[in-house]
Amino acid sequence: MLPASDMLWLALVVLGGSLTAVLIVLGVVLARLRDAERRLDERESRHESMLDRLQENEYRLRTIIESEPECVKLQAEDGTVLEINPAGLRLVDANQPADIIGRKIFSVVAPEYVDIYRENMRRVFAGEAMVYEFRAITLKNRVAWMETHAAPLRDARGNIYALLGITRDITEHKQAEEQARRHQTELARVARLSTMGEMATGIAHELNQPLSAIANFSRGCIRRLRSGGMSPVELIEPLEEVCEQAERAGDILRHVRDFVRKSEPHLKPMDVNQIVRAVVKFTEHEARQQRTLVRLNLDPLLPKVAADAIMIEQVMVNLVRNAIEAMSEANSSRREITISSRLFETDFVEIEIVDTGPGIDGSLIDQVFDQFFTTKPEGVGMGLAISRSIIESHGGTVRAESSRDGGAILRFTLTINTQQSSRRERADSIHS
Amino acid sequence: MNEPTVFIVDDDQAVARSLRWLIESVRLRVETYASAQAFIDGYDAARSGCLVLDVRMPGMSGIELQERLAAQRIRIPIIFITGHGDVQMAVRAVQAGAFDFIEKPFNDQDLLDRIQRAIARDAEQRDRDQQRARLRTLFASLTPRESEVLDLVVEGLSNKAVANALGLSAKTVEVHRAKVMEKMHARSVSDLVKMAMQRQGWG
Repeated sequence: MLPASDMLWLALVVLGGSLTAVLIVLGVVLARLRDAERRLDERESRHESMLDRLQENEYRLRTIIESEPECVKLQAEDGTVLEINPAGLRLVDANQPADIIGRKIFSVVAPEYVDIYRENMRRVFAGEAMVYEFRAITLKNRVAWMETHAAPLRDARGNIYALLGITRDITEHKQAEEQARRHQTELARVARLSTMGEMATGIAHELNQPLSAIANFSRGCIRRLRSGGMSPVELIEPLEEVCEQAERAGDILRHVRDFVRKSEPHLKPMDVNQIVRAVVKFTEHEARQQRTLVRLNLDPLLPKVAADAIMIEQVMVNLVRNAIEAMSEANSSRREITISSRLFETDFVEIEIVDTGPGIDGSLIDQVFDQFFTTKPEGVGMGLAISRSIIESHGGTVRAESSRDGGAILRFTLTINTQQSSRRERADSIHS
Repeated sequence: MNEPTVFIVDDDQAVARSLRWLIESVRLRVETYASAQAFIDGYDAARSGCLVLDVRMPGMSGIELQERLAAQRIRIPIIFITGHGDVQMAVRAVQAGAFDFIEKPFNDQDLLDRIQRAIARDAEQRDRDQQRARLRTLFASLTPRESEVLDLVVEGLSNKAVANALGLSAKTVEVHRAKVMEKMHARSVSDLVKMAMQRQGWG
């Protein structure tokens, strides 16, 4: 047994040792804690600088957008303006952002363009980037032409949540373009007229020759008969001349007719739908300018037709242009052209062009294909007449009627290309 | 020899023949030419009449033929026949000295009247030309001294005054004056004055 003093000593020693151990442990823990704290601090400061940078980036982007001279805006799928830069505010004549943000973009789109605008927006939200023109009426009722480059904006998961639109005022450009186009149209019209005028003058001059010869011979005969002392036999020769000259006049007329008919088509197997698409392309500019929507309703399984593609293009461009012009002249609110292709009976393909214009006056329907028939103030009245003669030279037919809801329907047929029956025989059988 | 002739220049042979048939019905002499060049090659400027020309012709046009004749100082009257739409061309031709123009289709009497007038005009011109030529020969037959005497006499000077002016004797002036009257085929001083005025008239 240890004496009590020893016991106490031992107890003290043990206690002291334990305390030391505790102190050591505490020290280690403290040191660890400090380290962790330091590391936390570090991480936090790093985080902060990252946030700073993000903010800086956003600020930079915002500055770029704010100072961008063209209108930049975000639109929701329903057309609500989400954001717009100062240039955009100026473009729509807004005094403050609240004038336009939160409102529908259609409030500044001209009524006749709203449908087309909606359709374009729908395509952007379906993932398409596009460029479109439209007429705008600003908040201060200023009318301007705009061009928008639109692209879909996607979130992190790839969902489209907005339309990013960059829009600029193209009114001046548009006016210049319009002027140029009008000038060109006028030139083309004058050229067409003068060609026809020249032809008419040429024919008139040609015909004048035999006619004046006939008159001179006849007058000479009459004078001699009146003054007497003329044996009738002497009149035979000049009268023969009269007959010859009358025949000559007839020949000239026949020649003119042959010339008009001459344009013989070069028929080849053609895909009618391909021609339709080419025509849509040719007339795209005019259609857009006259705010006309062109829809296609083509049967993809059609057999090939026997056609001179250039001539058929000419006919279709003419028909489509007529439709565009008719709708724009009548100031139709809905301007749509639907071009369809389909099988017709067994030997034909039919192409149909339907518009939403004023249609054709029932009493005039039989005349529209006549030469020199026109309802246009500057028209010559040759378009449909030439179209008909082209279609007929292809062995087809062309018809016009008014649709039930007012527009005009123009239909023409082309013969299906076959090996057995040559186009020639078919055309001849129709002509005779 | 110089019976007036209507010269027809037209590339259209049927028209040319018909014009000949028509114009011959009033007993005028007619010649036809198929081109402007053929006419220039065949025409003798001494022959009277008039020219009937189609404005439009292949090769040398009617207008060009008119210019060629003017350059050669051939003044035969020209009637242009124009087709529809050539009236402006015809107006320019008339301004350039053509006699007249007529538009197809024309009235036969109208054409024949114009032809008659053109032939009459040609005859007048030729008359005048002939007279001038005769006068020119007469004046040319005078000696320089006779010319001087003539000039003073037609100014109304007396023999004596003429003698004084020229430093001749009155007797000598008397002889010159008689010679002038004889050479000029003048019966009186007033005849001489008329001839002198005519000469002045055409410079």
